[in-house]
Amino acid sequence: MRELTRFQDAFTTALAGDPDALLPWWEDAEAGAAGLSVYRNTVAKGCADAIVANFPSVERVCGADWLAAAGVRHAAEHPPARPSLLDYGQAFPDWLTTFPPADDMPFLADLARLDLAWTRAHLAADASPLGAAAFAALDAEAFAATAADLHPSATVAGFADGLAGLWIALRAATPPEALELNDAPSAVLILRPALEVAIRPLTAGGFAFLAACRQGQPLALAAAAALAAEPGLDLAALFADLIAAGAFAALRSLSA
Amino acid sequence: MTLPPSAHPTAGLGLKPQHYAEALACGAEGLWFEVHPENYMAEGGPRLAWLDAIRADHPLSLHGVGLSLAADEAPDLAHLAALRRLADRYQPFVVSEHLAWSTRRGAYAPDLLPFPRTRGALVHIADNIARMQDALARPVLIENPSLYMPLKGHELSETEFLAELTRLTGCGLLVDVNNVAVSAHNLGYSAHAYLDALPAKAIGEIHLAGHAADERLGEALLIDTHGAPVAEPVWALFDRLIDRIGPRPTLIERDDNIPAFAELMAERDRAAAILKAPVHA
Repeated sequence: MRELTRFQDAFTTALAGDPDALLPWWEDAEAGAAGLSVYRNTVAKGCADAIVANFPSVERVCGADWLAAAGVRHAAEHPPARPSLLDYGQAFPDWLTTFPPADDMPFLADLARLDLAWTRAHLAADASPLGAAAFAALDAEAFAATAADLHPSATVAGFADGLAGLWIALRAATPPEALELNDAPSAVLILRPALEVAIRPLTAGGFAFLAACRQGQPLALAAAAALAAEPGLDLAALFADLIAAGAFAALRSLSA
Repeated sequence: MTLPPSAHPTAGLGLKPQHYAEALACGAEGLWFEVHPENYMAEGGPRLAWLDAIRADHPLSLHGVGLSLAADEAPDLAHLAALRRLADRYQPFVVSEHLAWSTRRGAYAPDLLPFPRTRGALVHIADNIARMQDALARPVLIENPSLYMPLKGHELSETEFLAELTRLTGCGLLVDVNNVAVSAHNLGYSAHAYLDALPAKAIGEIHLAGHAADERLGEALLIDTHGAPVAEPVWALFDRLIDRIGPRPTLIERDDNIPAFAELMAERDRAAAILKAPVHA
């Protein structure tokens, strides 16, 4: 087994860029190097393909070739930790902020974070959302003493600029030709209530409501936060819409 | 879920997400599907649901690419547990892995990497296969990888190594005929002699796939791309192998340049015809 360890240490070093590590195992260094380049290409392509697959909004902004090249660089610092690449790239958004070619696209990391949230929803454990009937029984008193837990697949994200709107447009089946990041605050709810991941834009009130729910606040306080963020909001309509979207998984009594 | 008695697996296809609906609707006799379990290691969601639906109508094989049986360490316990959960859920008629390594010291290189086939490696890999079989409570098949790098230090040929593994662990073999063609070409040995040396009784499945010449070195180096139709010389090797060993569940693998489902089914039907009546019989 020591021989196996010596070889695999050398092979790992060679894959990382130092082919000479394998010289003791090569009779013909030229043939050895040619073979090594096949393995290096396959490993790089495997990592790059996974990054391209997992970050479609970044791909639409930068193109597949740019993203694949970034994926290869990223993999040198953050190789996959396990053989399932379904959610590979957890470090990719932060890494993008250190990648000089992305310097003039500071919004890229947040797009990548939303792509990760989509993947998380896609792979999350199946859970039935709470139907309207469960909420119908709540009176005003219960509203003040009950929290609504968000569906386990849900991500709620708000931005001071139009990033959420940009991301939603980029994830559409046919994104618009011209895309721009405007200054208006935006927010999005990403969740998978059944088999399909749903992407819903949120108004300021909707975002405030769900953010309060995520913090475990009672529904009455969440409603107050929503009204404060968006005066004149039709709370009943918002609530009905979120329930229909499958945003909630459970009601939790907060009374001691 | 149990296998319907009529669904004896003949020729199958690697299942791709873009073909889920067509795969589900296809009623070809003996058609089976194979997936990489790594692509289904999720808590829930549509992939698992599609596989449930397809598995209700077709035999399924789980073909692992990431257990890293030839690494100088034991297989990852979390990965084995995830594999067991999938095997329990989908009741595959076969579970397979590769004679190769990929994950080591917590980092995964998405490829099937080579190693010197020493006696020491044989004992260690047999132990790893035994761990896999214990975790799954069933025998598995081990596949020959495609090879690109001539190495010093082999003490056994690949066919000797594979035969020894079947003897030591009771595992079977998954013979990738395309990999045999690619490796034999790249390392300069006879594909015929290689296939003739494999113990027929141990062979439980066959893979067929396409390859391509290296972009830089041309025909001197063949790459197992899974990106093209099965090449004619590979069909000829397959035909000859079936003539010798009899029919085995046979898979058309395609992982790149994925064509229409019907195009893959045409290749699959060609394999099914050979399984029924080898041309050289």
